Amino acid sequence: MAALRLPRGLIIDMISPFTRSGGIDGRGLGKQLDRVLPHIQALFISSPYMGEGNNLGTEQREELFEKSLSVIRGRVPVFMWISRETEEKTRETLLALKKRIELQKYNGPIFWVDTPLYYHSNRGLPQHYEDMISIVKEPFILHNDPDLINPINRPFKRKNIRTAILKDLALIKGIKGLIFLGTLDRAYNYQKVARARMDFRIYDGDESHFLEHPSLSGVVSRGANLAPKAWQKITVSSLNLNGNQGDYPDYLKQVWAAGRYLNNLKELYEAYGSAVIKMVLSKMGVIEDASFDNGLKDTSGKIKDLMEKHGDYS
Amino acid sequence: MDSERQKKVSEQVKEVLKIEAQGIMDLVDRVGPEFEEAVRMILRSKGRVILTGMGKSGLVGRKISATLNSTGTPSFFMHPAEAIHGDLGMVTRDDVILSISNSGHTQEINKLLPIIKKMGAKIISFTGGLESPMARISDVVIDVGVEREACPMGLAPTASTTAVLAMGDALAVVLINLRRFSQKDYKMFHPGGSLGERLATKVKEVMFTDDNMPAVCLGSSVSDAIMEMDSKGIGATVVVDGDRRLAGILTDGDLRRALISHKDIRSLRVEDIMTPSPRTIDENLSAAEALGIMELYGITHLVILDREKRLQGVIHLHDLLGREEFRLNGGFTST
Repeated sequence: MAALRLPRGLIIDMISPFTRSGGIDGRGLGKQLDRVLPHIQALFISSPYMGEGNNLGTEQREELFEKSLSVIRGRVPVFMWISRETEEKTRETLLALKKRIELQKYNGPIFWVDTPLYYHSNRGLPQHYEDMISIVKEPFILHNDPDLINPINRPFKRKNIRTAILKDLALIKGIKGLIFLGTLDRAYNYQKVARARMDFRIYDGDESHFLEHPSLSGVVSRGANLAPKAWQKITVSSLNLNGNQGDYPDYLKQVWAAGRYLNNLKELYEAYGSAVIKMVLSKMGVIEDASFDNGLKDTSGKIKDLMEKHGDYS
Repeated sequence: MDSERQKKVSEQVKEVLKIEAQGIMDLVDRVGPEFEEAVRMILRSKGRVILTGMGKSGLVGRKISATLNSTGTPSFFMHPAEAIHGDLGMVTRDDVILSISNSGHTQEINKLLPIIKKMGAKIISFTGGLESPMARISDVVIDVGVEREACPMGLAPTASTTAVLAMGDALAVVLINLRRFSQKDYKMFHPGGSLGERLATKVKEVMFTDDNMPAVCLGSSVSDAIMEMDSKGIGATVVVDGDRRLAGILTDGDLRRALISHKDIRSLRVEDIMTPSPRTIDENLSAAEALGIMELYGITHLVILDREKRLQGVIHLHDLLGREEFRLNGGFTST
């Protein structure tokens, strides 16, 4: 476990495609993975946003995980979201997913993504993770997302991992990083307390933050489901992954144009989340044509036009 | 500008400054024994600190080099691409290379460093890519990685170059203190200071010529040469033939050695004890380059010849470094 390090770069917040009967659309999943895999550094499955999170039933989550692993075959690290409403259920999910790995004899890198405040308070978190780490060999990534915690109706519940708690958590070797959503000021504070661990990565979970002031660990991107190449271009440029800027004359112009395109795209899909992205992907013939809200037709049409203009709609 | 827009601009400015400051603060806790090792390496080195880097890293490298020079650590910047096309000749095994690349994957640098390594020079890296090819080939790796850039989409490195710049300043300051470099020394070495001015001038402007130049002819007695040396006061005299062509140089050192090996040197002729074929320099080169040649060969005088190899003048180390007054073509100018 100690040797497993988190990648820098583009992490796709992967959609979870369904068939009309409500099962996982394995064919669509495979087609979408084939489309995005060449452009990403890691894959985030069953996330609370694109991946449908807790809307997935236990079996659906396991099926999605298993089918994804069959296509990925160790080519990129997999980030799997495990959080449930309670500590017990989260632990159950973790054990069930672990069993799936064992059954598949999967050897590729896997990281468990957990939003601790979804089911736990700040108090006692380090001990909680020491316990979790003792039952699985795969490392953990923390997920801090105040908007996800906000609707949970519990009095005095904190929406963010306390900075002092993160300081302790970052010292646990089995925790490798954090997907961060929240204010930039909080991001700086987290960065301060985690800096003692040089291999601790803090990914931008907010695409806007990354497009404005990129975290040099990388970004978890929802839009990469639609425009993986453009997101890759921006990530490679922001993280200087190639060591050099492109050696063609209009490189900066291209990066600038790609950034504007992604910002425009984001404005369109942001309000509707995974539904509108799935609608566009189904129109593209990538995933099955599940039933969608007619109200999204207008937005998905705009997205289609924008993608066509940039040669992504194919 | 309307107030809404003005507010947005102010917020952006503050955000950028916060990110840049954070980038530097991130370095504080990462300073470890490798920094000390880098300092030790530079202090032990008999050569120069040669900065190298591409693009913005190169520009930062030039600034760090200037700071090192101003604070008593001989340094220059070498462009990686130019180095591969010939400038590598400037590097000696005694030098320390300070290589800058945020990712550590810069192709030009990674082509260059293995060659430098083979030459035997030591390599220090300033990089955020601690497992990069550049880091792997380096003797010492200083982590200058930052967590976030201020500029969108990597259009220009911002916080990362600021962090490198700050680390470069830290290196220069530590070296100043370890060398006990005083304020007076700084003034002398600073480009705007007296020595900076001197070293920027050309050799022909600072050399001793005509009557101010100590010179004797071949066949002269050592006694005459000593009198000439004494009257001109630069610890040496040039020896020429009847056609003013250079035959040699007689220095205080030559006299000392002659005193040890001869009972009575006054009976000798200058050609018996002079150093034939002394080092020469073109009159159009800078005083700084003259200083470099003196340093390289461990000598204190250089002779200047014209195109016909006739004697033009002579310069002495003290006139470049040590005297409170600076001579311009033999005259005295207060500095």
